[in-house]
Formats: sequence, structure tokens, C-alpha cells
Amino acid sequence: MKVFSNSVTFNYSWEEVSIANWQKYGPWNDKSAHVIAVDTLNRSVDPETGILRTERLITCQQSAPKWLQSLLGSSDTSQVFETSYVNPAEKTVTMVSHNLTMSNLVKVQETVVYQPINGKQTQFVQDARITALCGGWQRIKNNIEDALVTRFRENAAKGKEGFECVLAMSRRAFAEEREREQSGQLMMA
Amino acid sequence: MSASLAPECNEVKERYDTCFLKWYSEKYLRGNGKTDENECASMFKEYQKCLQVALKDRKIDKLLDEAREDSKDYDTIHLKRK
Repeated sequence: MKVFSNSVTFNYSWEEVSIANWQKYGPWNDKSAHVIAVDTLNRSVDPETGILRTERLITCQQSAPKWLQSLLGSSDTSQVFETSYVNPAEKTVTMVSHNLTMSNLVKVQETVVYQPINGKQTQFVQDARITALCGGWQRIKNNIEDALVTRFRENAAKGKEGFECVLAMSRRAFAEEREREQSGQLMMA
Repeated sequence: MSASLAPECNEVKERYDTCFLKWYSEKYLRGNGKTDENECASMFKEYQKCLQVALKDRKIDKLLDEAREDSKDYDTIHLKRK
């Protein structure tokens, strides 16, 4: 097993980050072209805790290196199952995900947590565990795990850049919305 | 908003996503969204009606059932269930 960990500070409030998080793979993010589709499968609010639980299916253009794809005989899209928990009382967003595709050969488990540092800053902590399950040579397993860790590292940098774009666009959209509401109220007065 | 894996569901998905985002930012985060029965519920049902067919056609439904089984422990931890 190999572990990839990463932490990023965003200069936006937790509320802003948690809203933009739902738009992370939309048109405002030009660094996430590998994510083709995001479908919501289930969503519920826990009546006791108020925690919002969401299940999503994320469809990606296959990102595994070509040699690995041909070795494992996989198709050109891959899918990830994600469960997320928004806890508004504690101000945390926790997302856990794992791969549906090739899951008999390699297991990729990722946990992401967003939590406030202060009223204006939010911390993103990412932790991925990669385990090659295929029997056989340890060297091949190591190569598979290393290749995926490298891919995670590359995507992490792109992910931060892309999400910064979404955050900026989201803030602008909300400011415009507020302006419209205010001018609407002035007209009414 | 992002697309659906099934292009035929894009329209209902977009309507639901827009409704959800508004509910999330204006109600849920302000402590006024404590139930599942909200203004987006009927749109979600419609989206699911379309999506479930697509998942079955692509044989993803079985994979999802397994994935859910594997994710049960997360609920215990993150929903703070005893």
C-alpha cells in the first residue's frame, strides 16, 4: 500500500468552499476535463444530527497510464463512488470515495476533509490509500502503486488551481445575485 | 453544473442541481433545511427515474450495490451513529 497526502489552504470561508464544492467539476473548472459526468445517486438529511449525506457517481476519462490500462485491459472511462457528509454544526465537509472500475485489481480509497481555519480561510486535507491487489510479482504491484501516486500528485496541483477558479466565479455569482436582490428591493421601495 | 453520464438525463439533472444549490446555500447552511421534503424533492425523483434506467443499461447498478456495502463503515463514523 502507498499513501498520498496533501493539504491546501483556500482563502475563502468554509460556507463559500462548501457551496463551490458542489460545482467543482462544472464549466467553471477548466482543469477538470477528465471528469466527464457527476451524478447524484442518493441524498438525505439525518434528522438527528442535521448531517447532509450524499452519494455520487463520478465518471472520468481513464487517467491510468497507457501501459497500466493495457496490462489491466480496462476501458476508456472509469468510475468512482463517493459518499459525502456535510456537518453544518461542526462545519466540516468529509468526502470518502473509492474506485468502481478495476476494483478487483487495485483499490484507491480517498478521504477529503474541508474545515474552517478561521472565518475567512478553509483547509482542505486529502489522503489517498492505493493498494494493488493483483497476485504475482511485488515489483509489478509496486510499479502500479507508484504510477497511481504520481497521478494523484499531478492531479492535486491541477485540482487546487481548478477549484480556485470555481471559488472566484462562485463568489462573483453570489455578489451579483445579492446586487440584483438589493436593486430589486430598492425598486419596490 | 456537470453533465450526467446519460445525456438523456441532462435536462432533469440540471434542473435538480440548480434547485439543490439554491436550497443548500440559502436554506441548509442557514439552518433551515432539516428535512428531505423540500422544493427539490420532485425534481430529484424525476432525475432518478431517468438515471436508474441508464445505470441498469450500463450494468453499473450492481457495482454500486457492492460499493454501498463497502461504504457502510463510513456512515458509522461520519454520521456519528452508535
